[in-house]
Amino acid sequence: MKILVPVKRVLDPYVKVRVKQDQSGVDLANAKMAMNPFCEIAVEQAIRLKEAKQASEIVLVSAGAQQAQETLRTGLAMGADRAILIKSDSVLEPLAVAKLLKAVVEKEDPGLVLMGKQAVDDDNNQTGQMLAALLGWPQGTFISKIEVLDDAIQITREIDGGLETLKLQRPAVLTADLRLCEPRYASLPNIMKAKKKPLDTMTPEDLGVSVEQRLTIQKVEEPPTRQAGIKVSSVAELVEKLQKEAKVL
Amino acid sequence: MSQAARADLHTANALTTDLLPTYRQALDAADTFQNAAKASVTRLIAPEGRVSGALVTQEQTAAHGYAWLATYVAALRETLAWAERREAAGELGEVERLIVQIGFGEYLHQLTGGIAMSQGEAVRPQDLGVELEAVKAFEADSAVQALRREGNTNAARMRLTVLLRDGFDRLHFGAPGLDETLEMVRDQFRKLAESHAEAAHQWHLKDELIPLEVVEQLAEMGVFGLTVPEEHGGLGMGKMAMCVVTEELSRGYIGLGSLGTRSEIAAELIRLGGTEEQKAHYLPKIASGEILPTAVFTEPNTGSDLGSLRTRALRDGETYRVTGNKTWITHAARSDLMTLLVRTNPDEPGYKGLSMFLAEKPRGDDANPFPAKGMTGGEIKVLGYRGMKEYELAFDEFEVPASGLLGGEEGQGFKHLMATFESARIQTAARAVGVAQNAMELGLSYAMDRVQFGNPIADFPRVAGKIAMMAVETMMARQLTYFAAREKDSERRCDIEAGKAKLLGARVAWSNADNALQIHGGNGYAEEYKISRVLCDARILNIFEGAAEIQAQVIARGLIAGRN
Repeated sequence: MKILVPVKRVLDPYVKVRVKQDQSGVDLANAKMAMNPFCEIAVEQAIRLKEAKQASEIVLVSAGAQQAQETLRTGLAMGADRAILIKSDSVLEPLAVAKLLKAVVEKEDPGLVLMGKQAVDDDNNQTGQMLAALLGWPQGTFISKIEVLDDAIQITREIDGGLETLKLQRPAVLTADLRLCEPRYASLPNIMKAKKKPLDTMTPEDLGVSVEQRLTIQKVEEPPTRQAGIKVSSVAELVEKLQKEAKVL
Repeated sequence: MSQAARADLHTANALTTDLLPTYRQALDAADTFQNAAKASVTRLIAPEGRVSGALVTQEQTAAHGYAWLATYVAALRETLAWAERREAAGELGEVERLIVQIGFGEYLHQLTGGIAMSQGEAVRPQDLGVELEAVKAFEADSAVQALRREGNTNAARMRLTVLLRDGFDRLHFGAPGLDETLEMVRDQFRKLAESHAEAAHQWHLKDELIPLEVVEQLAEMGVFGLTVPEEHGGLGMGKMAMCVVTEELSRGYIGLGSLGTRSEIAAELIRLGGTEEQKAHYLPKIASGEILPTAVFTEPNTGSDLGSLRTRALRDGETYRVTGNKTWITHAARSDLMTLLVRTNPDEPGYKGLSMFLAEKPRGDDANPFPAKGMTGGEIKVLGYRGMKEYELAFDEFEVPASGLLGGEEGQGFKHLMATFESARIQTAARAVGVAQNAMELGLSYAMDRVQFGNPIADFPRVAGKIAMMAVETMMARQLTYFAAREKDSERRCDIEAGKAKLLGARVAWSNADNALQIHGGNGYAEEYKISRVLCDARILNIFEGAAEIQAQVIARGLIAGRN
């Protein structure tokens, strides 16, 4: 079974996010970039399936600027087999990415698409679901456990109030939650091997997909600075403030 | 400080115009001055052309001072070369520009004003017997004058610290200038070391060995086979990659960056001096981490003066029996293979009577640290650099098969060891850079969080100035280390360059740790704060792998004798 793992290059999650002065977006100039953590988890899970001989090949795909190549190389160094870069300098919205991925799925014919549940930059949490809909495939979102069966796949999802176990027909689209697995570090031997692994570049035009922007960002703002709290001298005062000022009681 | 005054300092412009030609000119002047110093030191220690051992001892201050001077000029050269490469790539940012500017400003001053060989030990031109004219000519150079006046200013240091604070979460302290692959290596090892940083502090406080799982993790990551050739099961990656890995591991904890040191030394010994059988047998096992080696050279009465080494190995058929005492053996208990330097020929009292053995031993544990017959040992409690522990060993008719003689030939021990010095020193320089970087980041982090008199203490010039100098000198030591590594990777002799990198790196690690602790105030003296450990760890760097004094001696002799 071939697994397709879409990955996204995002602002490093440990870096403080700064809004551009003109409020048009997040300032990415000279920023440290990294693979989206949920995508890393998806890559790790795919490698584990391959190590367990339940997958034969892992193909990474990323859509974005040329620098996304570095993110793909990191995934190859973790253990994926080859990578595809869909090069585009446009703003890529979830629907456009889902369409691009659909075109790649049709070319590659994977048995499974395993991806992050969302990217930590815009937190849309849409691409996996849209892709499943466009393909007409079953979808398993927010998965924390995966088990490959003969012709199906059993997954555990993290839902409000508990865990849900589902059995899906293959091929399917799965999106990884935080607890699915812990990504490995790329070892030196694998970093060296990754240099020789194939990395193909194509464009949205090559795939016949329009990535035209449908949404406009009006304004991006920093969250308001948290105001200092106050000390109350008694429970009675606390209750009164909760009722009259905070209006939560 | 008023808001307006702070804002003003935070935007105070550094010299950001195109200064690279000015640096070049100043470096030429520094080269000329170094040549004058070389001539005067040559007159002192090699009046008849050959370096005289007795005169080197008598004129030690001059000789060592010259080594330091040459180290400074090399650091300036490599820092400028780095900036020029960044400029050519269109990536010379403000942080990098300020690093070069402050570095030149400071070191150009010290060259004639006094170089701190250690605290309380400044060496000045008169100590080297340099002609007054040479000093005057250097100080009269227009580029030197401009940079001495305007290079390392309070405004420049304040501005750099503002940028370092701004770049702290992005880990932007000046781009080291690595290619894409090495950047990835750096990123992966930084994350790995970071993941152990909290636990490492506890290993230190509890004085425990680094857990075996962590050693195994590093083995899986490829650390022990990094520079071992591919045909012997390694990665054949070269010393630049070794520097990057070592620096990042040491930035997390010096012990992590040092686990590979003994593998590097053993592998170099075997790669360069071993028989084909020894290479085929040992190198793959060292590369995989299956064999953890330890270096057994030093004796109670033999440190820098290896020629006087006394541990004896007596041949008895196909066995050598080893008798004698060794000390300062790192990781001795939990290791599987000793690279053991002993005297095989008692009639040759000097270097020529020494041989190197590959002596296997069973791995010990807490209950029985030294299970081998004919070998006992005791732990030496130390201030820092724990995690592998230090031991003294006693051998009494300890048996080593004759097949363990490195290269199969007696009398080659010292030569074998010398051949590893370049790699070992580069590796140690990289450890020093990692520790220096860690200290700088700890100091910066504390200074950003700690508020006194209503401001983060990083706003205060004496604190900001310390941080800026730490960042500047760390980068200079790093670039000198990278240079030695690149020379080694190009198969050029680099013992002197490696020595300079180690000499400077160790001093910078120590001064960074000391200054970062000072920034922490009383808290830095509390064991709970990491800087207290980093101070102890940093102190060893000036001592091991060639103490700063012997390092300077070797550099001076090499330079005056015309090597490199």
